[in-house]
Amino acid sequence: MALDHPVLTKRIPTPPWGDPRDRKLIDIDMYFDTGGYEGLKKAMGMKPNAVVELVKEAELRGRGGAGFPAGMKWSFLPPVDGDRRYLAVNADESEPGTFKDRLLLDYDPHLLLEGIAICMHACQLDTSYIYIRGEYHQQAKTLKYAVNEAYENKIFGNESLLGQINGRMPQCYVHRGAGAYICGEETGLLESLEGKRGWARIKPPFPAVAGAFGRPTIINNVETLAMVGPILELGVNWFKSMGVPRPDGIPSTVPASYGPKLFGVSGHINRPGIYEEELGIKMSHLIEEFCGGMRDGAKFKSAIVGGISTGVIGPDDYDAQLDFDVGAKYNCLGLGTAGVIVMDEHTDMVAVARNIAQFFSHESCGQCTPCREGTHWMYQLLSRIERGQGYAKDIDLLHEVAGSMGALPSGQGSTICGLADGANWAIRTIVDKFRNEFETRVKKKPQILQSVESVNDG
Amino acid sequence: MAWIVKNSATMQIERREDPYLDDELKKMLETEVIPRFPSRQAATLPVLHAVQHKHSWIPYQALEEAAEFLETSASQLLDTASFYDDFWLNPKGRYLIMMCQSVSCELLGQMDLLESIKAKLQIEPGQTTEDGKFTLMTVGCLGSCDTAPCALVNETLHENLTTENFGQILDGLE
Ligand SMILES: Cc1cc2nc3c(=O)[nH]c(=O)nc-3n(C[C@H](O)[C@H](O)[C@H](O)COP(=O)(O)O)c2cc1C
Ligand code: SF4
Repeated sequence: MALDHPVLTKRIPTPPWGDPRDRKLIDIDMYFDTGGYEGLKKAMGMKPNAVVELVKEAELRGRGGAGFPAGMKWSFLPPVDGDRRYLAVNADESEPGTFKDRLLLDYDPHLLLEGIAICMHACQLDTSYIYIRGEYHQQAKTLKYAVNEAYENKIFGNESLLGQINGRMPQCYVHRGAGAYICGEETGLLESLEGKRGWARIKPPFPAVAGAFGRPTIINNVETLAMVGPILELGVNWFKSMGVPRPDGIPSTVPASYGPKLFGVSGHINRPGIYEEELGIKMSHLIEEFCGGMRDGAKFKSAIVGGISTGVIGPDDYDAQLDFDVGAKYNCLGLGTAGVIVMDEHTDMVAVARNIAQFFSHESCGQCTPCREGTHWMYQLLSRIERGQGYAKDIDLLHEVAGSMGALPSGQGSTICGLADGANWAIRTIVDKFRNEFETRVKKKPQILQSVESVNDG
Repeated sequence: MAWIVKNSATMQIERREDPYLDDELKKMLETEVIPRFPSRQAATLPVLHAVQHKHSWIPYQALEEAAEFLETSASQLLDTASFYDDFWLNPKGRYLIMMCQSVSCELLGQMDLLESIKAKLQIEPGQTTEDGKFTLMTVGCLGSCDTAPCALVNETLHENLTTENFGQILDGLE
């Protein structure tokens, strides 16, 4: 399996097709000249509903972390009632290890804007907000520039070729966040958009029914929307010719892993970067063919699959197939954002776990006790194990605390949002797969004997 | 940690004659930002960004002015502003160094880099140098993992940092 031509990176020189040093911002003229906005043209010749059906048929799955089928999400919208409906574009990209959306925002923002326009037509959304993380200063400037170009070229605005939607001319705004990971969670994002602290909301109601300002709202990731234009332009069969189909006997209600995907690879490899391949590519292929192999010829030890929330795979999973089933097959949370962090044999997994716990304890929004207290507790436990001051029982305690938080059944449904699931899976998979490293770090004796000894010594 | 709050009942607010949210800024926000949203409160983040862009931080008086402008309460604005790491409710240095401490950066030497910068500037993360030039912070992930370790200095991203080249970058700042 190998992609025979770049799709999302068509205009962004990327190995093996191009040299990253040749990258430059694609303005709207260059975008038009290279077949841009063809997908939108096609979509405008179709009824909105037909576009939704087409995206549904393509089985495009969300690229923001959860992998929810985009077409299905779109079809959950209630019928239009003449009042406002929104699109919130998730460009918050704050998951450690993830930097793929940035590539599209830096160089080919119109690929995103085309997807936005198609989605607004398909779902009958009159206003879109691109919620971009505050630290992406340059990217926000580029995006504002591109949005301006799109207004001038009648993609959005009072002369938009989309025409009136819900009795209004379609608008698209860039909205900057202010440094909070939780605002990447879709309902935290909506709260933030409304001018409040980014506290995730209890679902239901789902945003498609009652989202921004209480109105129907679609939330999609940058890469998901960027994929929509090419699907419209080149068709469902083309899209489904890439990736991993459903195995025989699996019902069609279970989504498969079709299409190309951006993989952002960092860590102990020779050529870190963003690479585009079909879903289902092997980790080993990614490392050897794209990333120039492991740094200093060291041995592969572990990798975070798709942002720290997804947890790790072990040394035996070097050939792991990277598609939406990676979670079930290799006992991790899932493909996440496909932001892969590769770790070599010299990596201290206790330190990795401590780093991750620190992140989650800082970013927990504080609403749910298991998450707010648990992430902090894990950080403290891990810090003390790392310093060599932990006890054997701390390892089980760590495991128990991790396993007690999360919105999924694996977290006992004890929290509102998925941030806690990320903390749960990240820490649990590291402890499970590298338990020996923790065991050699802790003091073997029960705490009471240890303290008796230290009294005697003292 | 966004959820840690302070007792503000006895707090004194420093005031000045000139408004932070002046007429010019208000006019710009009224024409360019407010019409984007169905509620005025939704303009909170853009308004706070604009105030901070102009004054480098957000004094309490500015929060009160912004609350009036957004037709909401000052406490509501404080609630929002204090939640976000990027909003400064205290003065910060002329250069804000945000050092990325993601796993990718730590794997590639961020710890040593941080130690060297702490020693160079003689401050801990969260502190500002005595001359008011630098404030040092650590942040979750800057989204530049392929060029780790990295840091933002104000709005400029610096990539593939070493103790040497980062020291030189900081020395080169006015
Ligand atoms: C804590 C947390 C942080 C998230 N951060 C992001 C993010 O930065 N960008 C993103 O696209 N999705 C993020 N998500 C996933 C979103 O909630 C949502 O599933 C996604 O934006 C939907 O878009 P998609 O279906 O196109 O992937 C996050 C989820 C959680 C639980
Ligand atoms: S799980 Fe954590 S981040 Fe999510 S709502 Fe609860 S406290 Fe906030």
